[in-house]
Amino acid sequence: MEDFISRYGFLFVTIIQQALLGLSLYFPLMAGQLSLASIGFYALGGYVAAIMGTHPALAPLRETLGFFIFPLEWLVAGLISILLGLGLGFPALRLRGIYLALATIAFVQVFGVLVLNMPIAGGAVGIFGIPQAFESRLAYIWFFGPLLVLTLLFLKRLEATGTGRLFFSIREDELAARAMGVNVTWRKVQAFVIGCALAGVVGAMSAPFLNTWNTRQGTFDAGVACLAYVLIGGARSKWGALLGAALLVSLPELLRPLKDSRMILNGLVLVLACVYMPQGIVGLFSRRKS
Amino acid sequence: MSLAWFLQNLLNGLSIGSVYAVFALGYTLVFSILGIINFAHGAVFTLGAYLTYVLAVGQFGLNGMLAGVTLPFKLPFVLALLAGAFLSGLAGLAVERLAFRPLRKRGADALLALVSSLGVALILVNLIQYLFGAEIYSFPPDVFGSLPAAMIFKIGDKIVAVRSVQVILFGVSMLLLLALVWFIHFTKQGKALQATAENPDTASLLGIGVDTFIMGTFFISGILGGLSGTLIGVSFGLAGPYFGVAYGLKALAVIVLGGLGSIPGAVVGGLVIGLAEAFLPPDMSSYKEAVAYVLLFVILLVRPQGLLGKNAEQKV
Repeated sequence: MEDFISRYGFLFVTIIQQALLGLSLYFPLMAGQLSLASIGFYALGGYVAAIMGTHPALAPLRETLGFFIFPLEWLVAGLISILLGLGLGFPALRLRGIYLALATIAFVQVFGVLVLNMPIAGGAVGIFGIPQAFESRLAYIWFFGPLLVLTLLFLKRLEATGTGRLFFSIREDELAARAMGVNVTWRKVQAFVIGCALAGVVGAMSAPFLNTWNTRQGTFDAGVACLAYVLIGGARSKWGALLGAALLVSLPELLRPLKDSRMILNGLVLVLACVYMPQGIVGLFSRRKS
Repeated sequence: MSLAWFLQNLLNGLSIGSVYAVFALGYTLVFSILGIINFAHGAVFTLGAYLTYVLAVGQFGLNGMLAGVTLPFKLPFVLALLAGAFLSGLAGLAVERLAFRPLRKRGADALLALVSSLGVALILVNLIQYLFGAEIYSFPPDVFGSLPAAMIFKIGDKIVAVRSVQVILFGVSMLLLLALVWFIHFTKQGKALQATAENPDTASLLGIGVDTFIMGTFFISGILGGLSGTLIGVSFGLAGPYFGVAYGLKALAVIVLGGLGSIPGAVVGGLVIGLAEAFLPPDMSSYKEAVAYVLLFVILLVRPQGLLGKNAEQKV
């Protein structure tokens, strides 16, 4: 058991962390908007936490707060993400479908280049030696676990109340929703900003978890991976991101004996899942709707 | 801000921009037929560069699975380029067969095609890494035979260097663009292709084999991808199995700038982005990689249909 935990503990926490990122994409998808922007907010949140955890000017603050610096980091990252998300969301969400996806990809790319040119973010090397919250990697489950439970409970409430249904109405038929008097733009921005805030907080939790933070975090590829969790897990259910992350994060680990060819198989699994499970993993459990 | 400086940047911008344009056309063709962006296009670009390299140099690199294997022949560069392009076209067909056709036959969500094409991209890129290794290759300097590396022109006391590679990039790209325009507008197959793009169902009622045309589109798209990969590879070296990814994203900016699905738009977009990168002030050169995306963002906010795109009306 000890052996099992030490071997797979990190993987388990990573699954939860990645599932949360998948959920940050799921929020805008609830309103039918495909956005990869939240991965940029994940990078942003990580930088906020990394700077707050290491910057010499903030040493007295860290002394005073002790462990409570971490919740403060989440709070600051979340707030900055909300503000930036609103600023980005209003212009970007006038765009539809693939145009929105491309605009958000552009945001992620531009953000990466900007960070590379900021001295405070440590340039290409990034920020390392970020203070740890816990002795072991596994203990970070106390950060990510509750956040996942909270997010899923929040989604459960959201789906059962008016706001969630407004999101779904836009996803099903935007024109009809608009005709029924739904303030479509505002609702889209709302869904988008919730996703951004979540990604920012996950980033702030991940910086100590990963110990270093640099421009390799929150790239386009990572965004695509998160999208794959949601789509492979099931894009129409809040459980999709968790199931998809469980499959796709553990897959390279399970295929480790295959060494070099494992990423090839990983790609193959993506293709096969798209073809044979168009409803995602969730679709295997739910009754086929004709 | 001298004339020489201007000419030099114009030349740099046009040569790289024309390659962006060729690469972006591969995206645009598929988009105009299927309305889907093929995210495996960047992987085909990389594959084309590697295949041409192998055919031109006659060996498989240093540390992949095929390290030390040598081909019994070395092709002259022009033949290697054509053979590499043809093989990239076949790779384009394979992408369609794996990632797009099964989903099309099932009438699946367009979003899934995005993920499945990324899956195929993952397969291709890692296959390249597996077979050729991860290090950087560059074409030998004598690929163009006896052409000089560069011609130097003097304007007053400043010099303008015209690299042979740049001239070839521009020339080959323009030839390809002209050939493509001719094919689409002046041949029967091209007309059928336009019909398929306009409305696949009607086209198939009129006796056009839609499946065949979709395959043809992917074949041409693969050729364009592989050729542009080779041209970039000759100019800047083959920077590892992932080097197509960054160009692939940049080409997305190109097609949006010009207008999704518009062929002249892709050309204009490519040249605009190439020139914008070339004319970036030297003290901002660290922001060069962001130029394309900033332009993309601006154009989306001002003119979402792109520079030459048509305004799509919303269907109710």
